[in-house]
Amino acid sequence: MLLEVKNLVKEFGGVVANADISLEVEEGRIMGLIGPNGAGKTTLFNCIAGYYRPTRGKVFFNGEEITGWPAHRVAKIGIARTFQGMKTLPNLTVEENVMVGAFCQTSDRQVARRIANEIMELLNLRDEASALPTELPIAIQKRIELGRALATKPKLLMLDEIAAGLNPIETKEIIQTLKRIKEEKGLTLFLTEHIMEFIMSISEVITVMAAGRKIAEGPPELVAKEEKVIEAYLGERYAKGRSD
Amino acid sequence: MRQLLIDIFSFEDRPRYERIGFLIFIIIVIIFPWIVKSAYGRAVMIKFLLFALFGLGWNLIGGYGGQVDLGQAKNVGFGAYATGLMMLWWGVPFWITVPVGMIIAAAESFGVAYPMFRLKGHYFAIATLCVALVWKELFVFWDWTGGARGVEIPIRSTPDFIYMQFGSPIHYHYFIFFLFITQLLFMNWFRKSKLGYECQAVRDNEDVAASLGINVYRTKVIAYTITGGLGAVGGSFMTVYYLYIDPDFVMPLDLSILIAMTVMVGGAGSMWGPIIGSALLIPLDMYLGAWLGAKKRLGIDFMIYAVIMMVIAAREPKGIWGIIERVRKKRVG
Amino acid sequence: MELTVQLIIYGTLMGLVFALIALGLSLIFGVMNIVNFAHGEFLMVGMYIAYLLSTFLHFDPIISLPLAALAGYLLGIMSYHFLIHHILRGPMVAQLFGTFGLMLFLRYLAMYIFTPDVRSIRTGILVGKVLTLGWVSLDLSKVISAGVCLISFGLVYWMIYRTKLGRALRATSLDSEAAQYMGIDTKKMNALAWGIGGATVALAGSLLAHFYYITPTVGMLFTLIAFAIVALGGFGSITGAFLAGIIIGLIMVLSGHLVSELKFTFIYIVYFLVVIFRPRGFFGW
Repeated sequence: MLLEVKNLVKEFGGVVANADISLEVEEGRIMGLIGPNGAGKTTLFNCIAGYYRPTRGKVFFNGEEITGWPAHRVAKIGIARTFQGMKTLPNLTVEENVMVGAFCQTSDRQVARRIANEIMELLNLRDEASALPTELPIAIQKRIELGRALATKPKLLMLDEIAAGLNPIETKEIIQTLKRIKEEKGLTLFLTEHIMEFIMSISEVITVMAAGRKIAEGPPELVAKEEKVIEAYLGERYAKGRSD
Repeated sequence: MRQLLIDIFSFEDRPRYERIGFLIFIIIVIIFPWIVKSAYGRAVMIKFLLFALFGLGWNLIGGYGGQVDLGQAKNVGFGAYATGLMMLWWGVPFWITVPVGMIIAAAESFGVAYPMFRLKGHYFAIATLCVALVWKELFVFWDWTGGARGVEIPIRSTPDFIYMQFGSPIHYHYFIFFLFITQLLFMNWFRKSKLGYECQAVRDNEDVAASLGINVYRTKVIAYTITGGLGAVGGSFMTVYYLYIDPDFVMPLDLSILIAMTVMVGGAGSMWGPIIGSALLIPLDMYLGAWLGAKKRLGIDFMIYAVIMMVIAAREPKGIWGIIERVRKKRVG
Repeated sequence: MELTVQLIIYGTLMGLVFALIALGLSLIFGVMNIVNFAHGEFLMVGMYIAYLLSTFLHFDPIISLPLAALAGYLLGIMSYHFLIHHILRGPMVAQLFGTFGLMLFLRYLAMYIFTPDVRSIRTGILVGKVLTLGWVSLDLSKVISAGVCLISFGLVYWMIYRTKLGRALRATSLDSEAAQYMGIDTKKMNALAWGIGGATVALAGSLLAHFYYITPTVGMLFTLIAFAIVALGGFGSITGAFLAGIIIGLIMVLSGHLVSELKFTFIYIVYFLVVIFRPRGFFGW
């Protein structure tokens, strides 16, 4: 088991953002995390990746406990993450953006450059190497963020709404890209997303959250039919009508 | 080793026109004392190089690091007093006092950085102000540093390279130029180094930086510490050039402000920003003063800087260099 | 013993003046989350106005004080419209050196007009008189200043918490977007905050002019004092500014008594310690 979350609770003052969440991500799998807005998905991500300290509960990576570790430490042991929205470093070129990730592995500029170039090659970014990210279309910026995360040589890649803002064609492309890099780099993927077609088509296992709790888990086709899941998204009436 | 030398001296990653421009600039500075013979002109050039030197160092924390530090004058003071007092009391040669000053400034910066980087943005800036003011007032209060009377370096009858006292300004010109080039080459190495990239990532987005394995806090502390050490070098120069230092001269708030301002106006975060900023503001200050006459001078120069600053704040936070880059992009694209 | 009481009273009086000085800074920060580096410069303007009106026109403080406040108000509004409004949406660095530029501009404008010579008000009903209560003797100017500051503080407090306009201001400071949906003109609120900030601090300056040195460079000192107070009391908290003002006033007077050259140094140290160990201050957000 690559990633284990055990009974995680995150409270902010009086608000319980994550209540007793437990899940496991097997190495080599693609795990999707879905849920309506406000379900606590990003909070969970932040707790795992070291941006928030869980109020209670534990997180294990590769058997080692990483609960409460600061973000940079989590990154160094092999968990990379991307962020919601466009978070490319605006004042560095594409190549330099990826190099910053590469420096996680080395102190040598030439080595970092080589790693960055290899990753850019993998993601079809070579042509844009010396451009500034803010001048490029969103779909390319997403790849830059992916490349940057990949350059840190992660075992687990956590993606927070990577498909947001992409049109259907771009969404299909990014699915292909993710599958490809997963194979080539031997990654495990843990994604959270709103867009159903995206996450249903790429995930092997899906966990559903609503109002801070985990309400379902399983293969996509089965989860989609669960009454609780439909209720969470569409309300009680639909749930009663639709479940088989 | 070879790679290190390349990293220090190479500007290959910059566009051609920049490299040519820089080369022209260097040539002008080198031949300057042979073209301009007036004492005033030479003094302006030396002051320009001194502030470019200050700016280069400040640019590390302020430009590449993205943390606005309004207390650099304290580091200048540490360097100036280290040199001044060691020379005065024990006759220590100049080039030994320089690393001592740098170490003192770096050590103090390191100590103060740990608590101070709990703060961000404006609060951090004010804290740096407070720290610098506290030090300045201490230096005035203490007797052993000479207090408000300051430290006077005795004039030597024969010029030498041990105490860096010379008869003609030409020597000082090349002296400060040497210091300037050294720091410039250091910054050239820095901006391409792992630390340089880490600083910039931290500046642009701390969360992203952390996600890439960067220890944000530690990076800021290191950047601030190095800047401290660099600032001391200019201070040491001031001691042997002006031959007199006191807290109001080497450590005042106005100096911190001027240093930060020249870099911000010129373009913080770029190699050339500090040079451009100083090239604009220092001669402006010195010639405007002469042109307007000593009486009217007081205040108008800074008023002009202030207006420039406000306009830049509202229009182009990246400073003059930012404007140049924008124009260049329009031409190309 | 008597000396201690005298010092405490004196510290409290100064504290009341400081509280008014800090009020404007706290208000501006609360409403639009920007830190005004030029705050002390507005105080300096108030000082010079009081100086000019007293010395050359022989105006009574009854007249020169409100005029200084008015000047501060206008200066605040103008600063907002010409500069601040344009940098509000920019990056923090731009905001920082925007108000910084304003500070420099005012400071050196004053230096140009008035030269760095130190001035003081030497005539007028507030100068040179001493109030004696029992064995305690206090400068009348300081007592009156403290009183005026207390009243002004009260007036602003009343306005903010008991009037409709004040409610609009508070709404803007809590959530400017939501306030806009309610029909509150954010731009007007921002300008008003700057106006009140300018007016109160200029008023404090005009009072200070009766017993403190007037120079073009005095601004930064009071900006830092205001910062220390607002940090201690909590950014955005009016009550905090009041209590912290008194505390800082006491600290200044008592430490000044121990080591007079370092009396302001202690205040800087307090600021530093507060923001490190208790960044929220005592009442702020």
